[in-house]
Amino acid sequence: MEQMALKAVGLNKSFGTKEVLKNLDLTIEPGRIYGLIGRNGAGKTTLLALLTAQLAADGGQITCGGEPVWENPAALSQLCFSREFSGAPNSVAAGLKVKDYFRIASIYYKNWDDAYAHRLAQRFGLEENKRINKLSKGMLSMVTIVVALASRAPITLLDEPVAGLDVVARELFYKLLLEDYAETGRTFVVSTHIIEEAAAVFEEVIILDEGHILEKAPTEELVAQFHLISGREDEVDAAAAGLTVLSTERMGRHKAVTVRCGENELAQAVRGRDVDVTALNLQKVFVALCGHGEVQDG
Amino acid sequence: MNGTLNDQSSIYLQIAKMLEDSILRGIYQEGEQVPSTNELARQYSINPATAAKGINLLVDEGVLYKKRGIGMFVAEGAVALVQQKRRAAFYQQYVTALAKEAKSLGLGEEELTGMIRRAYSEAQ
Repeated sequence: MEQMALKAVGLNKSFGTKEVLKNLDLTIEPGRIYGLIGRNGAGKTTLLALLTAQLAADGGQITCGGEPVWENPAALSQLCFSREFSGAPNSVAAGLKVKDYFRIASIYYKNWDDAYAHRLAQRFGLEENKRINKLSKGMLSMVTIVVALASRAPITLLDEPVAGLDVVARELFYKLLLEDYAETGRTFVVSTHIIEEAAAVFEEVIILDEGHILEKAPTEELVAQFHLISGREDEVDAAAAGLTVLSTERMGRHKAVTVRCGENELAQAVRGRDVDVTALNLQKVFVALCGHGEVQDG
Repeated sequence: MNGTLNDQSSIYLQIAKMLEDSILRGIYQEGEQVPSTNELARQYSINPATAAKGINLLVDEGVLYKKRGIGMFVAEGAVALVQQKRRAAFYQQYVTALAKEAKSLGLGEEELTGMIRRAYSEAQ
């Protein structure tokens, strides 16, 4: 399978007066699993739709293996964007049976693996004779996951695949994703709001905030830069002086600050100070970066 | 008290530690093959690159070695190597923390050593 990068340069998109993406640059390297996280309205779905030419950009360029994606069947055949069902009862897909929906997908995606699709449906306990509009939210998610995986597209984008799935089905999804990735080395971009349980699945994480890429880095490297320093207020203040403080929580004389710095810088700052230092997880890092001062109760 | 780094360690370090534990317990014996990167990734729902990082750490330390095209194996002398490494960290990680906690609870040296003796004789 040929491996190519998917690249966006200077991407702009507005809906009416609302600027959703602002001069955005992004490169998706081949053979990795990316996590795409961002708050509601950050522009995740718009970005994924633009990357796969399901939506026209107002400005900028998107290329796959150096070739423009827009109206280019060769480039588009490399891509799969399995998006959430709109839920509109009158949409084209709504009246179809699951198996007919798979049949349409099999025509659309040239690498479609039919046997794999049925195997996946079975593992999710998805009844292929049911009509799409009779499925629960979780089962709809399963359909989009089956289409994404069975498309065998070299670059596959999933928009909130685990929304509506119970925890057992979510675990199954991560397992299936990693199984397929181990076998094929395909590129995946997965957007999600359920950050912490998926963090270990992502080799790299992309944080989208208010229409631009705030961070794009190997997950563990990013997380390792953030620390929570806590203790008595004066000690914490002394330790954190000169460090970049992202958020602060206070309770009486107790204070906790989230800082971003390297390990050496941290060790220097807390030397001789009576404070505790705790690592953050990806979810906490995300809140520190994208919370914008909201919801910071201790 | 100095600022202490909490051991909410990275996943690749946890993978390395878990493999070490398994070697110490004889789950993987010297000369035997350990799970592949992909097997670990599936088992723990982690990215294969993370699993590989954990395995490579142990390769660098000489605990595991690679047979090209076959997989990863436990090196001869791996148990002794892991024990040696863990002993070096034992004092810092456990003993000093134990002494500090005992002091803050007002336990005397006699009481503490008595407790240690009892725990040691009860340990398997």
